Amino acid sequence: MFGLPLAFGAPAVLFALLALPIIWYLLRLTPPKPQQEIFPPTRILATLLKRDETPAQSPWWLTLLRLTLAALAILAMSLPLWNPEEATLSGDGPITLIIDDGWASGQNWDERKQSAAKLINEARDADRLVSIIRTTAADESTSGPANAEDALKVIDALVNRAIEPDHAATAKALSDMSNPGTIIFFSDGLAHENTDELATAIGRVEGQKFIYQPETRNLVAMTKISNDPDALRGQLNRVNADDELVLDLTAYDIKGIPIARQTVNFASGENQTDFQLEEPVELRNEITRIAVAQSNNPGAVQLLDESNRRRLVGIISGEKRDLSQPLLSPLYYITRALEPFSDIREADNANVTLAVPDLINQGVSAIVLADVGLIPEETVDIFQEWIEKGGMLVRFAGPRMAASHEQTLLPVRIRQGDRNLGSALSWEAPKPVANFETTSPFYGLQPPKEVLVTRQILALQELSLEGKTWASLEDGTPLVTAEQRGNGWIVLFHVSSDATWSNLPISGTFVEMLRRVVNQSKSNSSGVLNPEQDIRLPALNILDGQGNLSAPSASVKPLVLSKGIEPTATAENPPGFYGTEDGFTALNLFSKGEQLTALDINAFSSDMIQSTYQSQQAIELKPWLLLGAALLLFLDCLAVLWISGALRMRPSPQLARSLILPLAVAASLLFSPTDTFAQDSDFDFSAALKTRLAYVITGDSEVDRKSAAGMLGLTRFLTTRTALEPGPPIGLDIAEDELAFYSLIYWPVHSGSALPSAKTMARIDTYMKQGGSVLFDTQDQISGSFGGTASSPAARQLQAILSVLDIPPLEPVPSDHVLTKSFFLLDSFPGRYAGGELWVEAFTGAAALADRPARAGDGVSSILITSNDMAGAWAIDDAGRSLYSTIPPDPVQRTYAFRVGVNLMMYALTGNYKADQVHIPALLERLGQ
Amino acid sequence: MSPAIGALAPRETGKDTILRARARAALIPDLLVEAQRISNNVFAGWHGRKKRGVGENFWQFRPYTVGENMNAIDWRKSARDDHIYVKDREWQAAHTIWLWVDESPSMLFKSDLARVSKQSRALVLAFAMAELLARSGERVGWLGVTQPIASRTASEKLAEALILSEPQDRFPIADAIKDNSDIIIFSDFLDDMDNTEDRLRSFARRGANCHLVHIIDPVEETFPYAGRVEFIDPETNERFTAGNARGLAENYTNLFAARNKSLRDLATKLGWSYVAHHTDRLASEALVTLHEYLGANRQSSQQGRH
Repeated sequence: MFGLPLAFGAPAVLFALLALPIIWYLLRLTPPKPQQEIFPPTRILATLLKRDETPAQSPWWLTLLRLTLAALAILAMSLPLWNPEEATLSGDGPITLIIDDGWASGQNWDERKQSAAKLINEARDADRLVSIIRTTAADESTSGPANAEDALKVIDALVNRAIEPDHAATAKALSDMSNPGTIIFFSDGLAHENTDELATAIGRVEGQKFIYQPETRNLVAMTKISNDPDALRGQLNRVNADDELVLDLTAYDIKGIPIARQTVNFASGENQTDFQLEEPVELRNEITRIAVAQSNNPGAVQLLDESNRRRLVGIISGEKRDLSQPLLSPLYYITRALEPFSDIREADNANVTLAVPDLINQGVSAIVLADVGLIPEETVDIFQEWIEKGGMLVRFAGPRMAASHEQTLLPVRIRQGDRNLGSALSWEAPKPVANFETTSPFYGLQPPKEVLVTRQILALQELSLEGKTWASLEDGTPLVTAEQRGNGWIVLFHVSSDATWSNLPISGTFVEMLRRVVNQSKSNSSGVLNPEQDIRLPALNILDGQGNLSAPSASVKPLVLSKGIEPTATAENPPGFYGTEDGFTALNLFSKGEQLTALDINAFSSDMIQSTYQSQQAIELKPWLLLGAALLLFLDCLAVLWISGALRMRPSPQLARSLILPLAVAASLLFSPTDTFAQDSDFDFSAALKTRLAYVITGDSEVDRKSAAGMLGLTRFLTTRTALEPGPPIGLDIAEDELAFYSLIYWPVHSGSALPSAKTMARIDTYMKQGGSVLFDTQDQISGSFGGTASSPAARQLQAILSVLDIPPLEPVPSDHVLTKSFFLLDSFPGRYAGGELWVEAFTGAAALADRPARAGDGVSSILITSNDMAGAWAIDDAGRSLYSTIPPDPVQRTYAFRVGVNLMMYALTGNYKADQVHIPALLERLGQ
Repeated sequence: MSPAIGALAPRETGKDTILRARARAALIPDLLVEAQRISNNVFAGWHGRKKRGVGENFWQFRPYTVGENMNAIDWRKSARDDHIYVKDREWQAAHTIWLWVDESPSMLFKSDLARVSKQSRALVLAFAMAELLARSGERVGWLGVTQPIASRTASEKLAEALILSEPQDRFPIADAIKDNSDIIIFSDFLDDMDNTEDRLRSFARRGANCHLVHIIDPVEETFPYAGRVEFIDPETNERFTAGNARGLAENYTNLFAARNKSLRDLATKLGWSYVAHHTDRLASEALVTLHEYLGANRQSSQQGRH
């Protein structure tokens, strides 16, 4: 209509547009209702303007707005269509649809279906019969000729399949039809096998012919996946090489979770590109599916099964396993070193003859023989066949190998007996490992300097020895040698797999070396012994036409694995996983680097009408028009509100109040953290504003009472004797309270209390590292002092506490320590008991100078340990009477105990200042005063 | 549509306004009406006028001058020496103050910007004045409602009388007003200006001293209306539609200010006081101003007498 691709479903409604002038007239007459306001001085206003202000007409723009609204509504009711469909077919007679429903059609399957449906609709309108031929199943699916209604249903239910179309069968089916009539070929844009046959068959048919070709820009296929030691490699092919193409690959694990992504670039003009996923091998082993994100076709998906997975490693030892001493087992270190990156299969059978075929049949990639000297002849044959096919044999030396004459299955010829380094009868020292050669697979690893080899097996000097050496000792004797046989390898470690010959097996490098060795093995060609009879695997999950994994349909048959026959994807066996959850085989559409070929339009007869799939759909304009009308209605509402003045802000106390309240709430929310901080920091404030003695609340009420009384006693003593006047003492919950305010914390260690949590200990550690001091008191000098050989329960508790702290070396307070001079001059540190030592951080600085009366490192010892029950000696009641008698009952001892407390406190508060003070005479002397 | 800015508040009676009035009055110091023109023969009040006259409290002894009433001689004092003394008492006099609150429908108006309606505010002010004056012993009356009452509880009595009476929506007639009374008129003065002026002049002719308290809702002065607004006069229900109210604002505010000025000029010309009070301000503000006007010149008059 009007040269535009526009059509109306109900054109009669358009006559309503004639009513627009009437609407215009009515709208002009109805002004919006004014806002009503009671206003006492209206009389004054009236004197101001005698004229009646009521406008007789609405503003012109409002009228225009409303007219547009009405026009839009009328237009919407007339059901306009943008891009109405136009007829393709002409003539009469039956029509035949040949539909490529193979893997390549998945890309834009819906467009094909829509185009097909449109054609069939035309056929229905013209009362023409329709035949449908699917190229993937031409022989069975020829469903025609049927009437168009049935054909529509067929098209509706049609899904493409993840297999190659069979154009030969299609050509045959077409030739068999008596009267195909008009031919319409829905191509997938690719030339398949025998496409020329189909072209010929189509050419023979009389009548109109159409060929539909898709946009093939994004059409890619993935092939040649291999899980190499360093990366997972694959190839992408495409048919349309016109311009550059960037694709995203995603690799999924078995649960469908993406675990790796990769961007792949096709340069302009390039038909194929390689990609590699360089994820860690553990991650790569998890990959079961790789798909191109932008592509909906099953050809762009590759499925990976166990043959692409992590290596299975079989282990056989010549030694009987001594389970009571696992650390001495030769397999222990190998197992531990292999575990992180491979699956380990240990031989069930001690008999090597039986164990080896058993392991090989389990599909191992590598077999580790730990100190197996003699290998039976038949097993040697099995090994050799397996190695030829890609197996990797890793052997470790040992007493048995050194003793045997056997030279088979070794990379190099070895000398009988072993070489002993660094023993009583040897002049040579144990040898470290030399740097790895660039040709060695170990190249890049740091040779472990701490590894020393004391015994090794020596190789006979050969010309090829150097090429076979992967690692050697510093004197050039080989440590690891390897030889390639066929597709496989034999690797020999010239040391034993346990720690007796060298400490290589207990070094971290050993793990890396084994990893590289095992990665060197082939993962998927490890030569599963071919089964004697066919194996039938039921379908587990198959790829649908869109490249997604789905449950198999009933038509999918079990996959038959026959000897020597590579399974291929067919209609019965579409690509997918076959087998069970525990073990499955992946069947892929492409695996050998197949190339894609574009459909050659010249192969078809020249009278074929070319077309593309309908991607432009007829668009109903009604919702959009209605949306526009709704928007205009909204604008109209706004305009009416604006005219009536409702949108204008005016200051009002209510408004102000209503604003202030949320603002206040918001502000309070904003500042509430400060508030809460203020709340629970009452405690902190009081602690921060006044120096206070602090003790740890252990939870034992008796101990805590004693601590509190002791701190009170010391506080009083400090107040009377020194310039320090501490606030009332405080008990700390070390798990919760902030510790930073206290310079010294008294911690009575009590065997009955629970161990502090790791988090708490982290707090203590932080406190100590930041300069705080903790005085641990085991209070058990009487029963077994700290530092003695006997360990009391409290001492054990202290050990448990300290085991998680980062504690420097300790020493009993030396006689020139600043603690002995920080206030009183002391030579011992008694508490309630007199015998225990006071332990402090060992002074690690320069040796004490003889002429210095005191020494101190920088800072204060973060830890002080005593067993003398200081709190017991300091403890007083409210009346100032001592609570506990000293042992022995000596009043002088209590006085000394208080002096110790004062010295401790002064030490904690002043640090090495006192040490400097006692140096004053020396300093003054130096200054020449 | 946004809600209207102003509305008519329900008419308030004396019951709770008197409580609010008390609260306001409690903040104001005692008020002694300036008594320049008060003659000796008016009713006795409670508060001394700091000069001799009729009263109960002792003021001074002074020598008797011939011709004075012999009854005034204080014989007890005179017996002490050879002189004859007269005992003077302190003059205690009360003044009559009339109150009147306009209760026309326009006074019921209350806008969003105001705290209370004009009538409510006017009643509170009037009762607070009554409370203050009664506290000082003045006689307080309500024009058109009661005769002046000299009682400590004058405000309650006024309130009672007010509840029983008709709403005072017309300017009162000056019949009851005697010479030298004070009249406090609380109104929005929105009636016809000529009419108002006539009535006020009639008060002046009777020798009354008027205090005009002009109660103004803030909306009436600022005119915050915009857009199409239909204005309704609460007294006459007259409607007036403005197409663009914002456009009227400037002219209106000028006109309103001019009106207020003419009222103020009138008051000045007659020697009266004029207080403009906005209902969005505190009642105490007007009360303090009134307090000042009523107690004006007290200091100077004392000095003048002595």
